[in-house]
Amino acid sequence: MSATRIWSLLLMAFLSAPLVIIFGSAVSRTGYMSFPPSSFTLRWILEFLTSAEWLGVLGISLVLAILAALASTIASVGAGLYVTRRLRWGKGAVELAILLPLIFPHAALAVAIFSVVRELNLIGTFAGILIAHVIVTLPFAYRPISTSLSKLDPSIEEAAMSLRAPPWTTFRKVTLPRLRPGIVTAMLFSTIISFDELSVTMFLVGPNFTTLPAKIFSEVQDNASPLVAAVASFLVIATAMVILVVKKFFGLQFFVDPEH
Amino acid sequence: MRDRSKGMRSLVIMLPVGLILLGLFWGLVNVVVGSFMSNDVPSLTLYADFFSRASSLETLWRTIWMALLTAGICAIIAYPVAYFIARHAKRRDLWVFFIILPWLVSLVVRTFGWIVLLGNSGIVNGMLRSSGLIDAPLPLMFNMGGVITGLVHVLCPFMLLSILSVFFHLDKSLEEASMSLRAGPLLTFWKVTLPLTMPGVMSGFIIVYLVATGAIVTPLMLGGIRDAVLGTRIYHEVTNMFNFPAASSMAVILSLVAFAVVLPLQWIERYISRNIHKIET
Repeated sequence: MSATRIWSLLLMAFLSAPLVIIFGSAVSRTGYMSFPPSSFTLRWILEFLTSAEWLGVLGISLVLAILAALASTIASVGAGLYVTRRLRWGKGAVELAILLPLIFPHAALAVAIFSVVRELNLIGTFAGILIAHVIVTLPFAYRPISTSLSKLDPSIEEAAMSLRAPPWTTFRKVTLPRLRPGIVTAMLFSTIISFDELSVTMFLVGPNFTTLPAKIFSEVQDNASPLVAAVASFLVIATAMVILVVKKFFGLQFFVDPEH
Repeated sequence: MRDRSKGMRSLVIMLPVGLILLGLFWGLVNVVVGSFMSNDVPSLTLYADFFSRASSLETLWRTIWMALLTAGICAIIAYPVAYFIARHAKRRDLWVFFIILPWLVSLVVRTFGWIVLLGNSGIVNGMLRSSGLIDAPLPLMFNMGGVITGLVHVLCPFMLLSILSVFFHLDKSLEEASMSLRAGPLLTFWKVTLPLTMPGVMSGFIIVYLVATGAIVTPLMLGGIRDAVLGTRIYHEVTNMFNFPAASSMAVILSLVAFAVVLPLQWIERYISRNIHKIET
C-alpha cells in the first residue's frame, strides 16, 4: 500500500466521519451526546417523518430552491444570449457583474442583501428569501449556460433565420435544444445551492418563516434533540440519491468540471 | 422597424438579469454608503472606531489567519489525494463519490456532525477516555481548533475538486517525456507534475480562502464566545444589535481582506496558466 493511498483513505475517513456519526446518533436510543452508543431505535426517524412542522419546512425549502433555480436559470439564458449574440463591447463588464456574488465573502454579501430585503419590507417572508436566493444562485446558473452558448455555432441559428423562421421559433427549435446540458447543470447546481443556503438566509428568517437549514441551525443551538440527527440523516441520504441520479445520467465527471 | 423590434427583444431577454443585478448593486451601494455615514452625516467614525479598538483588530487578525491556515491545510492534505486519485486509483468514481457526498451535504448538517464528534462527552473524547489515554475531556470544540477542523472539512472538497480537474486535463505525455529523458519519478514530479498542477492548487486556495474569510455558521457553531471573527461579528451586529452601519463597515473591511489575497493570487494563476498553455502548444 503506497503512502498516498493511505493518506487518501485517511482523508476519506475524515470527510465521512461527521456523516457516519449523524446516522449513529439518529438511531441511538440515548441520543447523540453519549459514547459508546447504546441500543438501536427508529423512534426519531419516525418522529421526523410524521412531524407536520419538519415536513412543512422541508417542503418550503424545496419549493424555494426550485423557484430560485428556475428564476436564475431563465435570467441566465436571457443574459447569455444577449452577451454572446448581441453585445459588441462591454462583455467582460456584464459577466463580471453577474459573477460578482462569487467574489464577495458571504458575510459581506449577506449584509448587502439584508439591506435590500429590509428596505422592501420582506424580512421573514418567502419572497424576501427567494430574492436573496436568486441573487446568490445566479452565478452558478450563468456559468454552465454561457459555456454551452459559447460552444454553439451561431451559423445554425442564422440558417434557421434565413429560412424565415421567426426569432422565437428559432430560439425554441434550434437554440434551446442545444442548450439543454447547460440548462440542466444550471438548474441542478442552483437548486442544491439554494436548498443548502444558510449564510445569507440566516439574516433574513423571522419568527414566522424559516428554511430547513435555518431551522436545523436554531435547533442545534437551542436544544439538541436526536430528532435533529434524524432530519440530518434524511438529508444525507437524499443528497446521496441526487448524486447517484446525476452519476447515472452524466457520470461523476460532471461534478469535477461541470463545464466540460 | 426591424431595429426597434431587435431592441425590444434585447430589453426582454436582459430584463430578468437586469432586475437581479439591480437588487445586488442596490445592496452593495447601501453597504458602502452606510459604512461612511454617522447620524446621517458622511464621516469616517465607523472605521476610526473599528481600527481604534483592540478587540476589533484582534477579530480582524483572527479572521485572516483562520482563512489562511484553513486554505493552507486544505492544499497540503488535498494534493496527495488528488494525485493518488488521478494517477493510481482503480475505482476513481468511488473516490470521487466520497468527496462529492460530504461536499453537497448541507453545511449545517456537517457542522452538527462535528459537534457530536468533538463535544466534551462526544465520540472522540469518549473513545480517548474509555481507552484510558486521557482522564479529563480534551477541549476540542468551542475554540479555534474546532473552527479550523470544521472549516477544513467543509472546504477541503473544493480544493480536491479544483486540483483534480487540472489533473484530469493534464497531458500525461509530458510526464512520460520527462521520465524518458531519465529524470527520476521525484524529479519529474518536482519539475513537471507539480508546476503544471499549480493552477489547480491556486484556484483551490482562492476559493477556500474566500469562503473561509466570510464564514459565519462554522465559527458560530464550533467556536467559543471569545473567538469572534468578522463573519460572526457582522451577524451579531445585524441580528442582535440592529446596528446596520457598524455591520456595513465590517462588511467593507471583510471584502478588502478577501480581495487583498484573492486578486494577486488570481493574477499569478492566470500568468502561470498562460505560460503552461504556451508550453503545451
